[in-house]
Amino acid sequence: MKKTISLVLVSALFLLALAGCGGGNKNSNTSNGNEAAGKKVELEFFQNKTEAKDSFDALIKKFNEANPNIHVQQVNPPDAETVLKTRVAKKDVPDIIGLGATDTYAQLAKSGIFADLTGDALLENIQPSYLNMLNKLIGSDSAYAIPFTANASGVIYNKAIFTELGIEVPKTWDEFIVAAQKAKDGGKVAIYQTLKDAWTTLVPFNSLSSDIVGIDFYANRAEGKIKFDSPEFREVAEKQLKLIEFGQKDLFGKGYNDGNTAFARGEAAMYIQGVWAIPEILKANPNVELGVFPFPATNDEAKNKVISGVDTLLAISKNTKHSEEAKKFIDFMLQPDNIQFFIDQQKAFSAVKGVTQSDPSVEGFNAAFESGAIEDFSDHYIPSAVKADTIIQGFLQKKDVDAYVKQFDTEWDKVANRK
Amino acid sequence: MAKKKAAFYTMTIPALLLFFLFHTFPTLQGIFYSFTNWDGYSDSYDFVGFKNFASLFTDGNVLNAYMFTFKYAIVVTIFINVLSLLIALGLNSRIKFRNFFRGIYFLPNVLGVLIVGYIFNYIFANAVPMIGEKLGSEMLATNILGSEKWAWIGIVIVAVWQGIAFNTILYLAGLQTIPRDIYEAADIDGAGTWSRFWSMTFPMLASFFTINMVLAMKNSLMVFDQIVALTGGGPGRATQSIAMLIYQGGFQGGEFAYQSANAVIYFIVIVIISVVQLNFLQKRELDA
Repeated sequence: MKKTISLVLVSALFLLALAGCGGGNKNSNTSNGNEAAGKKVELEFFQNKTEAKDSFDALIKKFNEANPNIHVQQVNPPDAETVLKTRVAKKDVPDIIGLGATDTYAQLAKSGIFADLTGDALLENIQPSYLNMLNKLIGSDSAYAIPFTANASGVIYNKAIFTELGIEVPKTWDEFIVAAQKAKDGGKVAIYQTLKDAWTTLVPFNSLSSDIVGIDFYANRAEGKIKFDSPEFREVAEKQLKLIEFGQKDLFGKGYNDGNTAFARGEAAMYIQGVWAIPEILKANPNVELGVFPFPATNDEAKNKVISGVDTLLAISKNTKHSEEAKKFIDFMLQPDNIQFFIDQQKAFSAVKGVTQSDPSVEGFNAAFESGAIEDFSDHYIPSAVKADTIIQGFLQKKDVDAYVKQFDTEWDKVANRK
Repeated sequence: MAKKKAAFYTMTIPALLLFFLFHTFPTLQGIFYSFTNWDGYSDSYDFVGFKNFASLFTDGNVLNAYMFTFKYAIVVTIFINVLSLLIALGLNSRIKFRNFFRGIYFLPNVLGVLIVGYIFNYIFANAVPMIGEKLGSEMLATNILGSEKWAWIGIVIVAVWQGIAFNTILYLAGLQTIPRDIYEAADIDGAGTWSRFWSMTFPMLASFFTINMVLAMKNSLMVFDQIVALTGGGPGRATQSIAMLIYQGGFQGGEFAYQSANAVIYFIVIVIISVVQLNFLQKRELDA
């Protein structure tokens, strides 16, 4: 019997040793900066933009070289937002987080995992409109993140095809349909669509929804003052259906990467996407001549805005052991020459005052930025459990407007009731 | 005696502790959270009793996921078992390059599900439509994964292609346990090929048939990786399995507790199915 006990104890010890290994690693990761100043501080920079991986790496390299005591490591997994949520569930929050101003950011900020940066010197040079956008999103006056870059979405068009077929850049919905028809008659794909990837259906949806029903629609919907089953929202639905008449063959079978390559090869006249797709398109064909214009969702020119939001914001984990070093890294990123380098590569817009985007491919948005004709993304105001992208993807297959608006209403109510 | 016992304890107890730590404990945690309204990342949560479970039974998306998963699992289980039994019979006969073929048929099993999924994703998106266009077939010229009606067939093809490998090995092992001399006896009695298979080979394989059915069914009820690589649950919710719904709703949707309740129900369903399946098939084994 004695032997049995000792063997049990031995196996328990063995287990503890195993557990010890796991725990030990974790400790050494998080505490080495505190113990010895001579040791390198390891910072994890987690971000969600696959397109920007190389640009971030270039800046990180520059930072690491200038700061021998700090080593920043970029982490950019596929489906990053979901990965981040699973890591937060494990209480394993990265030191610095780069995210879009999405519902995910809003949920995480509200849950209090980010350090409160209100009044921090880092905020001084940031354009106030983007700070306001973040505050509106989380419904609070505190700043939990620093806007880094802004994006813009609308229509990307192939200049060569437009000239060849004599198409003018459209300013209203009717002109837009005429232009699309002209391209179609000219034997081109008018609007390349990538409906296999559900999220890409949100790009035209955001333009239509933000321009036609407006962002406040969603706040009113949350309060129960309005329903999706309304004439205004039906206009959005009808126009969504109209767009797929101008798509290529097999538009349900093509994904985002297919779309970027096909558009780069000059297969289509127009492509409804954000500026984030431009670097990918240029990678596939550096010689393609492209331009952008705001998606004309309505026949009232004043209502047709560029959809722009905070593309990347930088936040610091509340529990990081190295908040000074993390701030230093963010401060480095906000330096005009660094952010200029980043937006030049990414065709993005700067959230830092005095840094402007001058690339000719996106100059079609400049007028809107100057006059302030910009509006935020609608889907950031739809609870993510509603899964707007899935609903839209299903709707474009079934093409049933009644079922679509009702589904939005029932899903919204279901999610609200479960809260 | 005591010595022997001690040896057995040393073998079982670490495994038991590990199993408890990494399997039972998270399960219990999941059951605990299913009675809360935790979103998966907040610091605080409240207890809501059976509210999550009540909501589940009125959620059309849950029903939709169950319908898809069962349709898929039944079709995949049947195809995997029929095809892998056929392949195993072939590989067990005296053919040239037998070991080479055995290696080839086992290959899919050592490839990662995601890698296979992404390769097939490419095949469905580009290779098949190209062939379809040449043949002038409208049906083949479009990406099957983009069709709300047929996307699930694409997932079945990938799962069967890969799932066959492992079940073939099990059937092959089973075939080799059958003594040669009973076939010689059957030859003397003048039994045909079909009656030899049906009244000798198949009954002798009964226990392997049972385990293959249960394994294939269980694996396909948990289908997840193939869907991530092929459709992401789309178009719409056409190929959203239960595991996929739990993951997407729980993490992307920020409804961890609600989907935990879904997982608890699904756990019970799988236990019931496995017990019923084992009982039924084992009875058949005895009858045979």
